[in-house]
Amino acid sequence: MNPWELIIQQPVTNVLIVMSHYLGDSFGLAIIALTIIVNICMFPLTLSQIRSSKAMQDLQPKIAELQKKYGKDKQKLTQEQMRLYKESGVKPAGCLVTMVIQMPVWIALYQSIMLALAVAPEGLLNLSKYLYSWPIVYSILPLDRSFLLLDLAQPNFILAILVGASMWLQQKMSTTVPSDARQAQQSQMMLWMMPMMFALLALSFPSGLSLYWVANSIVRVVLQYRVTGWGGLRRKPEETTVVTDKKYVKFDDSGERKSVDDVGADIVISDSDPTRKDVYQPSKPSKARYQPGKDRAQRRRKN
Amino acid sequence: MNLKGKWRVGRIVFLVILMLAVCLSGFGCIKGMAPIGWSGGSISDNTLFVGTREGRLVAINLADESRLWTEPLKQVSQPGLFGCSPMMGGGCGSGSAGVAIYGTPMVYGELVYIAGYNGKIYAYNTASLALRWVYPRESNLKPFVGGIAISGDRLYIGGEDGKVLALDTATGDPIWEFQTGDKIWGTPALYDGKLFIGSFDKKFYALDAADGSKEWEFVTEGSIIATPLVYNDVVYIGSFDRHLYAVNVSNGSLKWEFTGDNWFWAEPVVVNDVIYAPGLDNYVYTIKEENGAKIDAYDMASPVSSRPVVVNDSIIVATRKGVVYSISLITGQVSQLADFEKDVDGPLTEHEGIVYVHTPDGSLQRINAATGAILRSISLESQN
Repeated sequence: MNPWELIIQQPVTNVLIVMSHYLGDSFGLAIIALTIIVNICMFPLTLSQIRSSKAMQDLQPKIAELQKKYGKDKQKLTQEQMRLYKESGVKPAGCLVTMVIQMPVWIALYQSIMLALAVAPEGLLNLSKYLYSWPIVYSILPLDRSFLLLDLAQPNFILAILVGASMWLQQKMSTTVPSDARQAQQSQMMLWMMPMMFALLALSFPSGLSLYWVANSIVRVVLQYRVTGWGGLRRKPEETTVVTDKKYVKFDDSGERKSVDDVGADIVISDSDPTRKDVYQPSKPSKARYQPGKDRAQRRRKN
Repeated sequence: MNLKGKWRVGRIVFLVILMLAVCLSGFGCIKGMAPIGWSGGSISDNTLFVGTREGRLVAINLADESRLWTEPLKQVSQPGLFGCSPMMGGGCGSGSAGVAIYGTPMVYGELVYIAGYNGKIYAYNTASLALRWVYPRESNLKPFVGGIAISGDRLYIGGEDGKVLALDTATGDPIWEFQTGDKIWGTPALYDGKLFIGSFDKKFYALDAADGSKEWEFVTEGSIIATPLVYNDVVYIGSFDRHLYAVNVSNGSLKWEFTGDNWFWAEPVVVNDVIYAPGLDNYVYTIKEENGAKIDAYDMASPVSSRPVVVNDSIIVATRKGVVYSISLITGQVSQLADFEKDVDGPLTEHEGIVYVHTPDGSLQRINAATGAILRSISLESQN
């Protein structure tokens, strides 16, 4: 057994099996429960990731502004962006770091579910080497793979749809439409691409894995809602007009778009009279340290 | 969309697919998720019959090593994305190229019988491998993992649907069926007009081979996959509760039980009133047939899931890692015969002092048990 299997995969697999026993021999409930528990354990990291992501999104108008201002001077643009991040207390690599830390846990959970499902005879034989010497673990196997009329070892169409829908929901909540039209297009594509890919994969994999994907997405949706609200889900599609010869984007303002989550959504960048007061005026970033989540809480209290 | 935009979209699609492929193939795939099969061999008239990972039955003439194959068994469904499908176990990568065959073919008269993971039982002519009958003719039952037992004109098998079936050997017509509480992966054993078989429902059944009525059942704490061994009016059966049970054939009462450190998966063998029971805890236990007392435990350094064979005055054991050992029945000395460095899960076959080991690379390895010489392997693939 390699270190990965010994330290991560084996404990998770055994915990999953024991949980099945204490949850009425239901492997489906064990998958859901373990997904929730792991999410709770990872909560500080997830929270940090969501907040970093939110803070980055909140800075999008200012970054767009900088891009407009220093578009031709890449070095200056980078310097200004870094200064903006620093002053706002945002770490651009924060999202990535937390994601990298979480990734092994998710992979271990995924592997353990597939391992414990033991779909093929070889799988059950292979599972034996991961078992602790606990009588419960030996006696409960092979696990009962039926759950809510589902055979967790077989793909399920409805669950595959749920995988796609829950992933789309989670991604939609966590993304905002970037100011740049090309980026917006990419963002839209990613929003649909990943859920569709996972839904298709769910049609080929045991539905126990789909159950894990759905449970995980739902937990993430709940966390996302608690931290940032509905996020991108409440935002109306923005009508963007690309003025190709001027290399900037004009956003139409709308009276309804006043959500507390839409920081910077009512910005109009225009090359018209810069003295006008009814449009957003570029300004130096505030010296006050940005505190993700707090702005929203304060505004809530005011309302 | 202009050319640059298309290129950008293509790049995103490529990255997404690459990421998924890395995550699911590299990190995510679990060894042993796809059914491959581990058919043992059966020898009749100097011809060895074995199921291949191509999903065919092959007949090997041991005199000249000429081979004859059947048509591949028919898959239930086509593989899905990334080589995954329900029939392939939902895993990725190296599943069986055809229908997985786990049970050892059985020869009876002029026919050879085999059951596939596609839920069908086939009877072929031993000489020509022409298909004589298939059961069921149209649809498919749940997969068959266990092997076939034959007595008289009847064939017995248990399936994943938990049913024990008795079929007519000549026609494949069903005679009776018995429903257990869960899946059956083990091979039945016949003795004194009784059929013995274990089930995932943790029960060990003794049925009347004539009509399928239950004579008795013996309840254990774990699922039963192992094939029973019957000897001197006692049936020996290993369970997932880490026990090897000795049960009286007549009434199903417990004679003794022996505890190991992991599942008993493979069928034990008995020589001179001593039981050799291989376990997944890396040991082969020697147990007194009379009272279940442990005589010795041989450390094989890897789990043993394949049935050992007795050759002259030694027991030949293959571990899951592909190391083949010989345990002397006289001195108890263990010596390594070969290391194939390939998984060995299926039962070993012995004929005229040669031990045949089916490895997952689609080969039949051969060892001379007396000298330990490794003979040239025989490819089971129809393309080689």
